[in-house]
Amino acid sequence: MKALWRFLASLKTCAWTGLAFCLAGAAGSVVMGRYPELFSDMDAQVLAGWFAQKGWIAPWPTLWLYGLLLATGLMAANAACCTAERLVQIFRGKATLRRLLPHVMHLAFLGVVLSHLVSSVYGDRIPGVAVPQGGFAPVGSTGWILSLDRFDAAMAPEGYPKDFAATVTLFRGTTPVARGIVRANEPLFHEGYGIYIKNFGATPWGAPFAVFDANRDPGAAPILVSSVLFTVANLIYLFPARREDA
Amino acid sequence: MFGLHLVLFWLSLFAYGAEAGLQLGNVFPGSPFRSALFGGVVLHSLFLALRWALSGHAPMAGLFESLTVFSFCSALAAFLLCRTEETRAAWKPLSLLVALPQAGAALLDKRLTPLYPALDTPWFATHVGLSFLGYGIFAAGLALAWVYLKQGGEEVYRAGARSALYGFSAFSAGMVCGGIWAYYAWGSYWIWTPKEIWSVVLWLYFATLTHLKFIPAGSGWPGWSRRMEMGATAAGYFVMLATFLGVSLLLRSSHSF
Repeated sequence: MKALWRFLASLKTCAWTGLAFCLAGAAGSVVMGRYPELFSDMDAQVLAGWFAQKGWIAPWPTLWLYGLLLATGLMAANAACCTAERLVQIFRGKATLRRLLPHVMHLAFLGVVLSHLVSSVYGDRIPGVAVPQGGFAPVGSTGWILSLDRFDAAMAPEGYPKDFAATVTLFRGTTPVARGIVRANEPLFHEGYGIYIKNFGATPWGAPFAVFDANRDPGAAPILVSSVLFTVANLIYLFPARREDA
Repeated sequence: MFGLHLVLFWLSLFAYGAEAGLQLGNVFPGSPFRSALFGGVVLHSLFLALRWALSGHAPMAGLFESLTVFSFCSALAAFLLCRTEETRAAWKPLSLLVALPQAGAALLDKRLTPLYPALDTPWFATHVGLSFLGYGIFAAGLALAWVYLKQGGEEVYRAGARSALYGFSAFSAGMVCGGIWAYYAWGSYWIWTPKEIWSVVLWLYFATLTHLKFIPAGSGWPGWSRRMEMGATAAGYFVMLATFLGVSLLLRSSHSF
């Protein structure tokens, strides 16, 4: 047990898992392009859902992903054990902000990893909800119906979209539960789901239509808090910049 | 005004080229602020400000703007990390690392392009700007590491080590901004593309690097030394290049530059 703790709290474990992550990630970035039938729909569902469908059917092309997940898990355990061990030492001696900051960053990193795990298991992805203007479409298994009340797009002469806005209403049964304008960088949020506009165009009969994604990321807010905490601790750590050990 | 901003671009390239030429000819400026590099940074700032005003968005979209901003951030890193007598030896390799991307940008189409609506947000400038600041600092890290490996020096070593920490910090902040932006624009703070994966690889590479110096000597780690640390700092530049250019030019990724 002691040997396991020493392994998990060791800086050498940090070094080797960091290296393993880099190698697995580099390999994965190439392999993903070679096997589009396996990886092209990874973002169409949460990672746990993708794994249940495709994670085990082709062991070799997905080997890098196992490596990536294993390295991430080891790094999270390493950060947790290192911080647990060092915090005891720090609080037995003189606890200064300077000595605590790296461990605030470790805890923030752990927050990101655990929150991402929550999103990867309990999140939801509902891609490709296509609705013509004036029409309705069900939003996955949420029980909602999405109505596109109005769609406006401003196009540049070169053919680029300059701006677009979709006025939408969410219904549960016949009762409207949310209404708003969805545009680039401005989704409509309702009960943990974000409704995002992904595409638009015209139907063969000339009516505009828009395609929406509905996503739920229960880990997003904790990830935001953890990331901001990490960044603040990191910035404070840089000042005073001229540390003896750089 | 479009013509004027291109003149500023070419003048800054000329200044960076002059600095590289003078450095290679062992002609060194009396002070960093009386150098061709400083002149180049001033001209480059004016070029970027004017292009921002003309296009209506931060000039950081597409390969031309990415390369020129990379060059600008590398030049800024010279003033951030290589100001002392000893560390200014790094200006010789760094001036080349500043001039080359600017020269590469000179070969590309410089027309102003409209910005896709999703990119029309302050998160775009903060995400890309901080990431490129990190890239520029990693370029200074390569130059400092090169000098350390050639001639040693305590100050050069410390500046090289700071480059890893500063670059990592800027890049981390850029990633956080990118995550927030992606969540609002595309519905997820993370998508599985080669660019995202390489961004985490780069982040972890430098995160690990900043930890390694704390491994006690003789504890079974294979002879970690300052020279190895500087070697790894230098290699980090190439991990960054793979993330910045390699992924965008060699692999298929919806996330460009």
